[in-house]
Amino acid sequence: MDLDFKIILDWWPLILDGFKLTLVIVFGAILLGIPLGGLLAFGRQSRFKIISISATAFIELFRNTPFMIQVFLLFYVLPFYGIRIPANIVGIIGLALFGSVYYAEIIRAGIDAIPRGQLESARSTGMSYWQSMTNIVLPQTMRIILPPIGNQTLSLVKESSILSTITVQELTMSALIVQGQTFRPFEVFIVITLLYWGVNELIATCLRIYERRLKRRSTLVLAGTSSNQRLS
Amino acid sequence: MKFNFSYTIDALPRLLEGALITIEIAAIGFILSLTIGTLITVFRTVIQSRLLNAILAVYISFIRGTPLLIQIFLVYYALPAIDFLPGPGELRIDMGPVTAGIVAITLNSVAFVTEILRGGLAAIHKGQYEAASALGLRNYPLWRKVILPQLFMKTIPPLVSEFTQVLKATPLLAMITVVELMRVSQQIFSANYHPVEVLLGAFVIYFLICFVVSRSSILLEQRFAVRRF
Repeated sequence: MDLDFKIILDWWPLILDGFKLTLVIVFGAILLGIPLGGLLAFGRQSRFKIISISATAFIELFRNTPFMIQVFLLFYVLPFYGIRIPANIVGIIGLALFGSVYYAEIIRAGIDAIPRGQLESARSTGMSYWQSMTNIVLPQTMRIILPPIGNQTLSLVKESSILSTITVQELTMSALIVQGQTFRPFEVFIVITLLYWGVNELIATCLRIYERRLKRRSTLVLAGTSSNQRLS
Repeated sequence: MKFNFSYTIDALPRLLEGALITIEIAAIGFILSLTIGTLITVFRTVIQSRLLNAILAVYISFIRGTPLLIQIFLVYYALPAIDFLPGPGELRIDMGPVTAGIVAITLNSVAFVTEILRGGLAAIHKGQYEAASALGLRNYPLWRKVILPQLFMKTIPPLVSEFTQVLKATPLLAMITVVELMRVSQQIFSANYHPVEVLLGAFVIYFLICFVVSRSSILLEQRFAVRRF
C-alpha cells in the first residue's frame, strides 16, 4: 500500500470550497424545508379537500421516489419552461423540497401525539385555533419532534452529495475532480468520507446535548405538577 | 418546446427493462443484507462481546454518517486502489460495476437492518427465552422456532421501509455505470434530447414500485400475524 496524503494538502482549497458549499446548501435547504414541511403538515389536515388532497399527493410523490430523479427532473424541467437558474440554487430548492415532505410527516406525527384534550381545553378557555396551536400544542410538540427532525437533517447532509450529479460543485463533486486530476481515489474519498462523518457526528452530538437539556427542564416543570397525566 | 407525451410512450419498453434490473439489484441487495443482518444479530446476542458491539457501533455510525454515494465510490473506485499484499505481489479487490454496486448497497443496508433487528429483539419479552429453555430448546431451535419468527413479525414495517430505502438508493448506481432505470433514462434522453418526458416516465415507474412496496407492509403484517385459536 503506497498512500500519499500530500495531494490532499495540494488540493485542499478546492476541497474546502466544496465543503463550504455543501454546508451552505444544507443550511439553505433546512431554512426552506422546515417551514414548507410545516405548511404541508397543516395543509394535509386542512378542512378544504383540494388543499388536503394536493398536500397528501405531494408528500406521497416525493416520499416514494429517489432523490436523484427528483433533482434531475427539477434540473431539466425549469429550463424546459424557460426558467434559467444556477445549478446551486436548483440544488437548494431540490433538497428543500425533498426534506420538506419528511419534515411534514414528522411535524404531523408530533401534533397527533399531543392528546386532543389539550387543544380542546385550550379552545374552551377562549383561545382561537391558532392561539391554542402556538401556545399549547406546538411547544409540547417540539420535544417530540426534535430527535426525528435532527435525523432528517443528517440525511439532508448525506443526500446533498447527490447534487454532484447535476454539476453542483459541492464536496462530492470536488472529490471527483481531485480524483480525476490525481488518480488517487483512495486518499481523496477517505478524506471526504471523514469530513461528512465529522459534520454528521457534530450535529448528532449537539442534538443529543440539547435533547437532554430539554428533557431535564421539562421533567423539572412536570415534577411541580402532581397530575398523573405526565407526558411521555 | 412543448411537452410531447409520445416520447414517454416510446421510451416505456426500455424504461421497464431498466426497472426490472433496478428491482433485481434491490432485491439481491436486500436479501443479502437481511441474511447477514440476522446472522450478526444472533451472533452478537449469543456471544455478548463488548468488543464486537463496539465495532458494530462504529460501523453503524460510519454507515449512517456518510452518504451512500460516497460509500459506493469507496467500493468501486477507492478499494481497487489499495494493494492488500505487502511486498512485490499484488492483491486487489477489483469488482465490476454491478457487483460493486450490490456490495456497496448491501454493506450500507446491513447497518440499518442490524439496527432494526436490535430494536425488535429488545422488544421480545424475556419470558420467551425462559419458556423456551424450560421446554429444553437451546441454540438453533430456540432461534429458529421461537425468537426469529417473533422478531421478523415485529419488524415487518421497518424492514419494508428499509427495502424501499434500498430501492430508492439504486439510481445512485447509475453513477458507476450500472445500467438500471436511471441510467437507461439518461441514455434515452441524451439520444433524443427530451429529458423531461423521459425522466417523468422513470419518475412514475419509481413511484409505482416504491408505493406498492411500502403499502405491502400492511398485507404482510396481516399474512404473518400470529393466529391464536
